[in-house]
Amino acid sequence: MARLARLVAGIDAVNNAIGRGVAWLTLAMVLADALVVGLRYGFGIGWTGLQESVTYMHATVFLLAAAYALNRDDHVRVDIFQRQWSLRRRALVDLLGSLCLLLPVAVTLAALSLGYVADAWRRMETSAQPGGLPFVYLLKTLILVVAAQLAAAALARAGHSWLTLRDNPTEAGSWR
Amino acid sequence: MALIAGLMFAVVCLVLLAGYPVAFTLGGVALLFGLGGAAAGAFPAGELLALPSRVFGIMTNETLIAVPLFVFMGVMLERSQIARELLEATAALFGRRRGGLGITVVLVGALLAASTGIVGATVVTMGLLALPTMLRRGYDPALAAGTICAAGTLGQVIPPSIMLVLLGDVIASAYQQAQSTMGVFSMQTVSVGDLFVGALIPGLLTVAAYLLYLLFVAWRWPATMPAVPDDERGKHTGLVLITRLLSPLALIVAVLGSIMIGAATPTEAAAIGALGAMLLAAARGRLGRTELTAVTDRTARLTSMVFMILIGASLFSLVFSAYGGDHAVHELLDSLPGGALGAMLVVMAAMFLLGFILDFIEITFVVVPIVAPALLAMGLDPIWLGVMMAINLQTSFLTPPFGFALFYLRGVAPASLETGAIYRGVVPFILIQLGMLGLLAAWPGLVTWLPGLVYR
Repeated sequence: MARLARLVAGIDAVNNAIGRGVAWLTLAMVLADALVVGLRYGFGIGWTGLQESVTYMHATVFLLAAAYALNRDDHVRVDIFQRQWSLRRRALVDLLGSLCLLLPVAVTLAALSLGYVADAWRRMETSAQPGGLPFVYLLKTLILVVAAQLAAAALARAGHSWLTLRDNPTEAGSWR
Repeated sequence: MALIAGLMFAVVCLVLLAGYPVAFTLGGVALLFGLGGAAAGAFPAGELLALPSRVFGIMTNETLIAVPLFVFMGVMLERSQIARELLEATAALFGRRRGGLGITVVLVGALLAASTGIVGATVVTMGLLALPTMLRRGYDPALAAGTICAAGTLGQVIPPSIMLVLLGDVIASAYQQAQSTMGVFSMQTVSVGDLFVGALIPGLLTVAAYLLYLLFVAWRWPATMPAVPDDERGKHTGLVLITRLLSPLALIVAVLGSIMIGAATPTEAAAIGALGAMLLAAARGRLGRTELTAVTDRTARLTSMVFMILIGASLFSLVFSAYGGDHAVHELLDSLPGGALGAMLVVMAAMFLLGFILDFIEITFVVVPIVAPALLAMGLDPIWLGVMMAINLQTSFLTPPFGFALFYLRGVAPASLETGAIYRGVVPFILIQLGMLGLLAAWPGLVTWLPGLVYR
């Protein structure tokens, strides 16, 4: 069981570090997009590459921070009933949800995207825009990264819920 | 086939009530229905292969880049205490009058909410800042609670709000779809900017109606909204007051103005607004590493939450339409008595009820793409439809016993404030909202006049 706890902590630490890291890209997005606007209206310069880099950063942030947001319990829940439930009952919902809902979604997304991403790599796919960034294959690879992150996070959340259920044998106790 | 789609919708609603995150519940249930159907030979499994390109479409949707930028601006204004200062300065200005605190809450709610557009954030901020003062000064608890809930939801309908960005994006593609099924060759488009401009007059009318109601109560029942004595309002010199009031106001005017005169897209305006919020924070000496870490972290988590729901919802609609659900809903809406009006009434009622359990993000991504093409094909104006849906959802979030705003306020209100008082307090505001919907239904020009003027 101590091994399970260590595994959960390890997966969480990796996903949290990735999430905290990419969060800084939001600041870069603000600055880059403001610069794009300034250059266009101030100097009449269009910079497609910089514009596309904002799109890349945006996609990176919301995909790679998803597992971190899951760990921080930021994903919206319909909690009109859950509010009154015991710790055990909520842990049970998270255990079942992680294994029966999130895990299949992550695994299927990975399986479906494999060919899609491989195709982009084969062609070393570039931007369709003139002056755009030549890294579309890397952008598409993010789908595989987030699928892997979410699959690992689903297992870690399930493990966490399992440990919670084991450590709280009675219905008493409050959440987190 | 369409029956399976209906069953899937019902199962999703039931599973959602268990409380697992909405994004993964939507995706997970749809996936199980898709895979189960494929195994039974009832579902064309090849449809699921569209998922990666759908996800990539979401990743590269330039309109939606406005979401993280607006969230950044709102969180920055909140973290750097600019929101609190705005509330205090406005209270100092109006507090000495009867009803002044209530008016302050509505005005600040309109201003602040316009920058965050997240119901919870505004209701919680004002519940923490203004509610204790209002109660201590002898405001009627129901009136105080109702005012804060209503003012906190104003951000949904006053541009630039996140709800209007999301609705605008969904309605734009629904409008394309409707025109292509109608066989229109010279397609017209509708943008997030159109929706912002269209929502401006209805939003301001709602604020005006709230203020008139409060002024009426202050005149008719003065004891429910007493004035704040001079010594309690804090001492500010005129200059400090003016800068505190004007700087956030200028920011919002700049963001909206640049969209309205056509100088910037909503995404660009959002970037400028976020930069402006950083400058305001820096001017107050509150733009250190601590603040930036907190703001970027919260922005990333909120953004990820929104877009994961979008990905879950797109998996859901992929399976739903492959089972023929879209088609069935169109036929159902077409067959309703009363034509476009009847269909509109049914859709609005359904969205109102769904607003009890789902946030606007889920409703916008799951329900609107299914119903909007059918409604638009009946000839309804897309901007008007978007604004009606926004006000409808805002009303739903206010309505007891399940309205979101009420839960948020309950979470931060002192235990001495009865839940019944919160419910009683929002009733007049709900009536104002319903009146507003009726007004816009009778005079659609209130929505469509300004966009016509600005863009044509």
